[in-house]
Amino acid sequence: MIKVTDLHKKIGQVQALNGLSFEAHNGTITGLLGPNGAGKTTCLRTLFGLLKADSGSAEIDSLNVVTQSSQAKQQLGLFPDPFGLYERLTPREYVQFFAELNGMAGKEAKQATDEVLSLLKMQDIADRRCQGFSQGQRMKTALAQAIVHKPTNIVLDEPTRGLDVMSTRLLRDLLLMLKQQGHCVLFSSHVMQEVAALCDQVVVMAAGRVVAQGSPAELCLRTGKTSLEDAFISLIGTDEGIAA
Amino acid sequence: MMTIFRTLFRKELLDASRDKRSVMAGLYYAVGTPLLMCLLFSVLLKQLSSSDELLISIDNANAAPALVHYLANKDIRQGEGAEVKAIRLVVSTDFQQQLQQGRPATVIIDADRADDQLQTAIRRLERELGRYNSEIATLRLMARGIDPQLMQPIDVQMQDQATPDSRGGTFLGIASLSIILTLFYAAMNLAIDTSAGERERNSLTLLLSQPLSSLQLVLAKIAAIACFSMLGLVVILLVSKFTYGMVPWQQLGFNISLDADFMLFTLLVGLPLALLSASLQVMVSFVAKSFKEAQTYVTMVLLVPVALSMVTTYNIAPDHLQWLPIAAQQQAMIGFLKGSAIAMPQLLVSSLLTLAIFAACSYASSRLLKSEKVVFGL
Repeated sequence: MIKVTDLHKKIGQVQALNGLSFEAHNGTITGLLGPNGAGKTTCLRTLFGLLKADSGSAEIDSLNVVTQSSQAKQQLGLFPDPFGLYERLTPREYVQFFAELNGMAGKEAKQATDEVLSLLKMQDIADRRCQGFSQGQRMKTALAQAIVHKPTNIVLDEPTRGLDVMSTRLLRDLLLMLKQQGHCVLFSSHVMQEVAALCDQVVVMAAGRVVAQGSPAELCLRTGKTSLEDAFISLIGTDEGIAA
Repeated sequence: MMTIFRTLFRKELLDASRDKRSVMAGLYYAVGTPLLMCLLFSVLLKQLSSSDELLISIDNANAAPALVHYLANKDIRQGEGAEVKAIRLVVSTDFQQQLQQGRPATVIIDADRADDQLQTAIRRLERELGRYNSEIATLRLMARGIDPQLMQPIDVQMQDQATPDSRGGTFLGIASLSIILTLFYAAMNLAIDTSAGERERNSLTLLLSQPLSSLQLVLAKIAAIACFSMLGLVVILLVSKFTYGMVPWQQLGFNISLDADFMLFTLLVGLPLALLSASLQVMVSFVAKSFKEAQTYVTMVLLVPVALSMVTTYNIAPDHLQWLPIAAQQQAMIGFLKGSAIAMPQLLVSSLLTLAIFAACSYASSRLLKSEKVVFGL
């Protein structure tokens, strides 16, 4: 479970987070939806402890990300944007490295790596260096890295960006599988169809704060619109940034 | 703690070893420098030890047949063609007449004293003319019934204390300089790649989001880079041993031979320096905002070890500099090669200082990685 309470963060002159609060529960997929510059990435970076909030707190499974950083991070799988692959390592080496960093011992890490590589059907590329991988292969490698240590919570930053239809469908299936297994899946996006198709809960963000929260159907009902896109426009009150 | 460090260290080592270009760039220095030095030394030695025969041009040689004969006995002859040095000895027209009357007879050495390549030849000609001078003077005194020893109130004798090995001071300096700087140049590309490069490839933020401390991360990086520095050191020692064996040292009566003891000593003395080199370059690369900026800064910072090594090589360092890192280690290496006593207090203090700088740079880098500005290159 991920819980964010009253986060404030100023970056330069911009108030990136302005009293952001929401919860993402286990066994659900929560979408963080907002136009460009709404503060989605800042919010996620604060969750990983890369940015320090000026005030407010973030908790992973009730562990504070600042004061209990190590334990909190172990319960967190991260699928970043950009992926941050090591071009000179193979997916097997890369994934096992992150498994060991998250506290798995050598044998256990190796086994977990084998499992996740076969889960994502990556055996054919597992021992090739990441250099020259297609966007889909990169996505799989990044996802394998995020879930190899079996964290309760998985956070994805704009996961479908740059993916073709096949890869997007694969990712979608995997996220649904993770949800079924009882994980808490949180992802940021500005693609309406994606969010509408996947999310149980949608957190709509604008200007560093939450403007609405609920299931896609609830949001449509509340705004009296038929599509999530119209509901979204009506919620944030402007169409600025939607095109991007 | 240690498990995380080991995991990080292993990954850094694996990643760096596959970065063939950076590794090779470091090794090119380790292989190329001794070869270049070998060539340079051979040319220098050839210049220093002039060949036995010195060919010059002599004007009006007929006026002084005895002098010309004397010089010819000393292998200084009048010559023609490319071998002739740009030195002209002009015998005055009244030479014979002046000599017969017991008056100073003029000879003029016409040459460019600023030309370094002529220095030895000019000195040799002057020396021989001086000898001829005193030979004639002695004969004149004897002809007048005066003991020529009267002209020599002091008998100056030189007893050379230099052992053959201690004679090649500058050569030893340059050789040890090239060896010690390997620790810095072999690490340069890898240090930039693992810090500024890691940030530019966006994997730094992902790493820092994992349950690890920034100090563990920094130390693992430094340890891995230091390994490659030491590899460079091993390579340059082996290549140096081979190439310096081919330089014709015997011409100057000394020898530079790098034996196994010296190699072990250098590896031991070099280990703290490898840590300093890695930590310094990693820190500078993190301070820089981009890969290119890091390259510029690191190149600039590397001027400091080069300068410290230079003043040691040319023996122009004030005494207190001999306590500093690099200078003291190099001094110890030179001492070891010369077979003279090694200044242990200086070596110990500077090694401790070296480790202290390594600790300070490592800590500073780990602090830098807690800064949002540094991590995101803002």
